[in-house]
Amino acid sequence: MSRSTAFQFRSGNSFFHRLDPLTKFAWLLAISLLAFGAYIAWVQILITIAVLFTAFMLARLSLRVVFRSTWLFGVACLSFLVIQTLTLPGSHVAFHLLGHPIYAESADYALASALRIYTIILSSLVFVRTTDPRELAIALVTQMKVPYRIAYAFFIALRIIPTIEEEIKTIHAAQAVRGVVRERSVAGRIGETKRYAMPLLVGSLRKASMMVMSMEARAFGAYPQRTFVEAPHMSASGVAVCAVMLVLVFAWYAALGFGYVHTFYVLSA
Amino acid sequence: MALVAADCPADTAALRSTEATMAPTSATQDGMALTDARSASDLAIDFRNVSYAYEGEQEEVLSNVSLTVRDGEFVLILGPSGCGKSTLLQLLNGTIPHTLKGRLEGEVSVCGKPILSTRIASFATEVGMVFQDPDAQIINTRVRDEVCFGLENLCRPAPEILERQREALDFVGLGGFGDRSIFDLSGGQKQRVSIAAVLATRPRLLVLDEPTANLDPAGMAEIFAVLERLNRDAGTTIVMVEHRVDELADRVSRVLMMDRGSIVFDGTPREAFSQRRAAHSEENATIPTSAWFPQACEFALALGDRLGMPVDASGMPLNVDQAVAFADRCIATAVATMAPPAAELTYSSATDGPAFLRVSQLGFGYEKDRPILSGISFNLGRGEMIALCGRNGSGKTTLARLLMHINTPPRGTIWLEGKDVADLSAREISSEIGYVFQNPDHQFVTDHVWDEVAYGLNVRNYADNAIEERVGEVLDIVDLKRYRDRSPFSLSLGERRRLSVATMLVLEPHLLVLDEPTIGQDHERAQQLMGLMARLRERYRTTILMITHDVRLIAEWAARALVISGGRLLFDGSPEAMFADERLIAEAGLLTPPVYEISKALAAKHPGSLLQPTLSVPVLVDSIGRMEGRIA
Repeated sequence: MSRSTAFQFRSGNSFFHRLDPLTKFAWLLAISLLAFGAYIAWVQILITIAVLFTAFMLARLSLRVVFRSTWLFGVACLSFLVIQTLTLPGSHVAFHLLGHPIYAESADYALASALRIYTIILSSLVFVRTTDPRELAIALVTQMKVPYRIAYAFFIALRIIPTIEEEIKTIHAAQAVRGVVRERSVAGRIGETKRYAMPLLVGSLRKASMMVMSMEARAFGAYPQRTFVEAPHMSASGVAVCAVMLVLVFAWYAALGFGYVHTFYVLSA
Repeated sequence: MALVAADCPADTAALRSTEATMAPTSATQDGMALTDARSASDLAIDFRNVSYAYEGEQEEVLSNVSLTVRDGEFVLILGPSGCGKSTLLQLLNGTIPHTLKGRLEGEVSVCGKPILSTRIASFATEVGMVFQDPDAQIINTRVRDEVCFGLENLCRPAPEILERQREALDFVGLGGFGDRSIFDLSGGQKQRVSIAAVLATRPRLLVLDEPTANLDPAGMAEIFAVLERLNRDAGTTIVMVEHRVDELADRVSRVLMMDRGSIVFDGTPREAFSQRRAAHSEENATIPTSAWFPQACEFALALGDRLGMPVDASGMPLNVDQAVAFADRCIATAVATMAPPAAELTYSSATDGPAFLRVSQLGFGYEKDRPILSGISFNLGRGEMIALCGRNGSGKTTLARLLMHINTPPRGTIWLEGKDVADLSAREISSEIGYVFQNPDHQFVTDHVWDEVAYGLNVRNYADNAIEERVGEVLDIVDLKRYRDRSPFSLSLGERRRLSVATMLVLEPHLLVLDEPTIGQDHERAQQLMGLMARLRERYRTTILMITHDVRLIAEWAARALVISGGRLLFDGSPEAMFADERLIAEAGLLTPPVYEISKALAAKHPGSLLQPTLSVPVLVDSIGRMEGRIA
């Protein structure tokens, strides 16, 4: 009955939903590499626009979902931007704010850093919302040749996170009814964790042993391999996405390596 | 998506190494029935002098059990908590002794295979296991994946797996559900998925451990209908531990009763329920087995006693129709001339003094456009016993949580002793309202039983001697004083439940909310808990609000019922009036208790008589007994 977490898989039929998990993972990795390499604001702005386009158009996420999932990070990035802009040194004064000089270099760098964090959070959201953990686990087995027991361990871990979250909420409510008030001090918080841990542990162990029985009874682990009825495979669009991302990453780092970006940057500044 | 038949091993020898036979694995098998793996023997289960103790424990959970079950039987196992029934089920696919170690004596063969030398995995095609909690046993997030899981592990070819998956889902009535997410299903649907997931391997034996304990009546009916069909049409042998005997008594072919690790009764359902016996609870108290008798049998036994005609096993009714016919044989067609039956025998009037809790036009939702509750209004008086009913997800738990300020209610909608609940803190409310959660473990906050009960008083700064006195008194009431220095987690479930009630009780609340007191509990434990509630009510005039869809609990204990559906209060009145309204009962996802059906049918058959629909077996027996001209 409680609100569901926004940062979890939702089935859908968007372009991104239809891509195989490995392609999406490659996309996420490429976006992260691009974002990490880009310390110039206008490049970061381009990347952010590209990721926003992907989120809204290719993954069909609603504005509300994006806002609900990322606003907290957005606020953090914004404060990061303000602090860095005010504190980093620079040489070209862009303008004065309340008598305080604001340097073009520091503002540029601060904007790039803040957007970098936001872009990575946003692209992770796109990945998580459109990728079924089970498909990812299967892709690990069939495409990356990871042993299936390990892939399933990963999948089950993701599968039970919402259950545990739900249980923590219930324990919190159950203890509030007892007159337990939320602690503010560090020592109090540690004591609180201990109180939560015991019931949670007892419940989780019971659930885990039930899962073991349920899996063993259905021959999980009987053979070194198993059939996967529906294994994802990379489609033509998947190959295209991977190729584009590869070219972009390669081009960007090559440009960095040969010093072109710096030249553009100095020229434009 | 593509169909990929992964390169499954030729080395089935690895699996065969320790076992005598292996179920056929070829894909060329025909698809005639859900059970196609037959061994030479027609004994599905063969236990000879089996004793078992868990690893590191001295006491035997099973002692000297001998049992044979033939193919095609439908066996119901009954017994109090801790009697060894779940342990017995765990032996049936080798979970004991292969996963749960321990000391096992005697011989156990299942489907012709000795369990000691057969791996669990090779039982996968012969024994299907279904457990109580659907959320713990479902591994995958999509229905189809869950049903394919077992066959994928067995390395069957993909086309065969998909075919069997379709067949199994069709069988449990979830044909179009393959692509659904597990999280979007109701409890009953999830359990049907669990059953389909084991049916896909076409087991010869289906083993179920309280499969409906977490379900509402509608979900329970779905499961039992599937099981009946499976046993009748596909010939699957079923062994099941379950407490809902009302719906099962006329469906099963055999009943086993267990007590303290032994089988104390083995026979037909009629024989099983024709005689009152006694068993022992986990705390070693004697409890009557009638705690898990079908109400039809309870009625027949009581009527037999009243009329001085002992009922023999062959005449014992197992369902409503048979009970009506049975009563008819006892009633002469002559019209009764007696005084009206004492319908007031067990029910006191609903209200007692002015309301101390008022709910007025309460609406609530996490999101504006999706209200969970709307326009709810009612009052609660002191000393009432009220059932709050409705389907899973109807908003009843949300309502109870708003009363407690676990969720914040809108201002001006809930008034406790004239104060707006929205202005009170959870701690202030908890001295007026106690809330007993489903799982008692969630509520424990200290390491000792005594401290646990004292906690509520400590945080409210009571004087030491007052704490000493009140904690002692409350522990006496719940009979836990002897465990004062034990950890709450070391107690049995029944004891933990009583302890969680005690922690609420010590604050002498005016209202005690019980969240699903019978879910995951046996009937006798629920009865004990309700007995405790009745004592409280007498002693402190505590109002008891129980969130439940257990119709026998409502019939037996509640004097007033509230029904919520789709976030609205549909009904506020007596349980009799509620059960009389068929549309309301359907809306609330409830069933009517057998005694109500029996009395209603009898009243209709004997129009002029003073028989009336009632919720109480003694009232019905009394009114029949007082009719004139009764002859067998």
